[in-house]
Amino acid sequence: MEHKKFSKLELLKLSLKYSKLNLKCTLEYKFDRFFTTLAVFVREMVSIAVMYLILTRVISIKGWQMNEMFFLYSFLFLSYCIFIFLFTGIRDFDNMVYTGELDRYLIRPLGLLYQVISARVDYCATIGHGAVGVILFLSTYNSVGIDWNFRNIVYYILALLGGVIIQTSLFMVSSCFSFWAVRTTNLRNLIFFNSRRFAGYPISFYPGIVQKMLIFAVPFAFVSYFPSEYFLHKPDLSVFWHGCLYLTPVVGIIMFTLVYIFWRLGLKSYSSSGNSMY
Amino acid sequence: MSLIEVRDLTKDYRLNVKKRGLLGAVQSLLVPEYKLKRAVDNINFSIEKGEMVGFIGPNGAGKSTTVKMLTGILSPTSGSIMMGGLSPHKDRKKNASRIGAVFGQRTQLWWDLPVADTYDLLRYIYRIPEKKFEQNMEMFNDLLGIQEFMSQPVRQLSLGQRMRADIAAALLHDPEIVFFDEPTIGLDVVAKEKIREFIKKINAEKNTTMLFTTHDMLDIEKTCKRMIIIDQGTIIYNGTVEQIKERYGRSRTLVAEFAQKLDRIDLPAGVELIDQKDNKKYLKFNRDEIQVSGLIAELTSKYNILDLTVTEPEVEAIIREIYEGGIDFDKGISGDSKKSLSEQYCVPC
Repeated sequence: MEHKKFSKLELLKLSLKYSKLNLKCTLEYKFDRFFTTLAVFVREMVSIAVMYLILTRVISIKGWQMNEMFFLYSFLFLSYCIFIFLFTGIRDFDNMVYTGELDRYLIRPLGLLYQVISARVDYCATIGHGAVGVILFLSTYNSVGIDWNFRNIVYYILALLGGVIIQTSLFMVSSCFSFWAVRTTNLRNLIFFNSRRFAGYPISFYPGIVQKMLIFAVPFAFVSYFPSEYFLHKPDLSVFWHGCLYLTPVVGIIMFTLVYIFWRLGLKSYSSSGNSMY
Repeated sequence: MSLIEVRDLTKDYRLNVKKRGLLGAVQSLLVPEYKLKRAVDNINFSIEKGEMVGFIGPNGAGKSTTVKMLTGILSPTSGSIMMGGLSPHKDRKKNASRIGAVFGQRTQLWWDLPVADTYDLLRYIYRIPEKKFEQNMEMFNDLLGIQEFMSQPVRQLSLGQRMRADIAAALLHDPEIVFFDEPTIGLDVVAKEKIREFIKKINAEKNTTMLFTTHDMLDIEKTCKRMIIIDQGTIIYNGTVEQIKERYGRSRTLVAEFAQKLDRIDLPAGVELIDQKDNKKYLKFNRDEIQVSGLIAELTSKYNILDLTVTEPEVEAIIREIYEGGIDFDKGISGDSKKSLSEQYCVPC
């Protein structure tokens, strides 16, 4: 069969096909998947509830009201929800290497990253996190005093997508290690999920070292804090450079570019050693 | 030029040397030490269009590394592979649309979905024209009977059904070259036979080039004319199945059933009693030294014999002997003679 390049439209159609099959798989186990989704939702809601209970007693920290805190928190959930919906495969990549699924992808006439991304969608996590995000957003977007004009809406969307790309890049770094037959799942969970927990609060709460970590090392500050500050302009922002408010998409693109180079390097190494070392 | 040309193909793996004990574990974490393992050592072969070739060799011989390089999953350390003018690794995507692969131990079907869903997805992945897709589906249904379980989730299929479905999935896009890795593993005799028949039919009808790696010698005997035996990374035999039988399968076993149980019998020189059961005796001899007719005549003149059968060794037995080092290949038999394996060397890096 003559091989010609896939057009963008063909790739999009194929992606939709994959998501449809994934949905069908999820629906095969409606009962179980429902409870998985519920479990994710409840787990996250509990942390929100704890935060609520604490905040009702403390009233405000560094001038942040409760609804403002929740607005900040909604960025984390919504961007994570979109990340999982689009890039589940990157989260599950080590498993693909381990089971040899990756080898199957390599003998198909499609790009590897495309297949990794398209092949899986975790609807449970998407809906579980998404629901929390939507609840937080809907209950705060009106009360935090944002004028939802065109400019702000565009900013919001760009910041959200930037946050998605930042989290994608973070996950992808640890995925890349799988190419060298190194399992980093736990290291990733340690770094990713703990930083994410930090990022649920305004970073000005933390000592300098943690702030620096959330800006330079695991830049979650650009996922939640700076986008929120763009809208809220709290006094604690004065510590940071104002330009940070606009950097979310830039940080995302730079990180992804670097990580993609790392990915290519990993793929090259994989093709010279395979997964035979597991 | 042949469809597949492999020249001086070599593959080295870099292995992390693990030290013993806790101290050793810490040490190898901090100062990793590597050694190179040569999995494939300078092999050459070519395969013509439409050929069916069996790749055999003991575990760890380098078969799957070779197949991984042929399919473009791994890049060679040195040497070259040309498949119809393409390099499988460098032109991975282009090459991929022309090849198919069946891994008996792993499925490419979606575990929780009906088989039909995977086929539908493959139709998009390989951009199979509607008409061809339907023709192929019809043909596979006729030969493999996949229709009967098309709408069942894969997890509910029997191993035989799953394997049939997997083979159909790999052939759906009419690949020019198909790799079969243990295509009949774990199947019963009837199912095995059915799959072999199907594979032969596809080969005859579509002139598909096929490569098998398997431990089931019957797979090879029944489907392939040629086989390539790999051991320790080198090709030790590359020739027809008949030839190896002719050349190395010289021993014959005569099974004689006597009228009564005999404690001992007189045998001519060169005939060896290897086993006995009830009234049956198993006599082994070399067909170059002893004529069967002579032996039978001698036995029947001395004893009352009810039944006689002569069996020749299965290829499997010959191969076993080769693996165990009982047969040394002389240079005459194949283009690639056995070479001594270059020593595994250590490189601290």
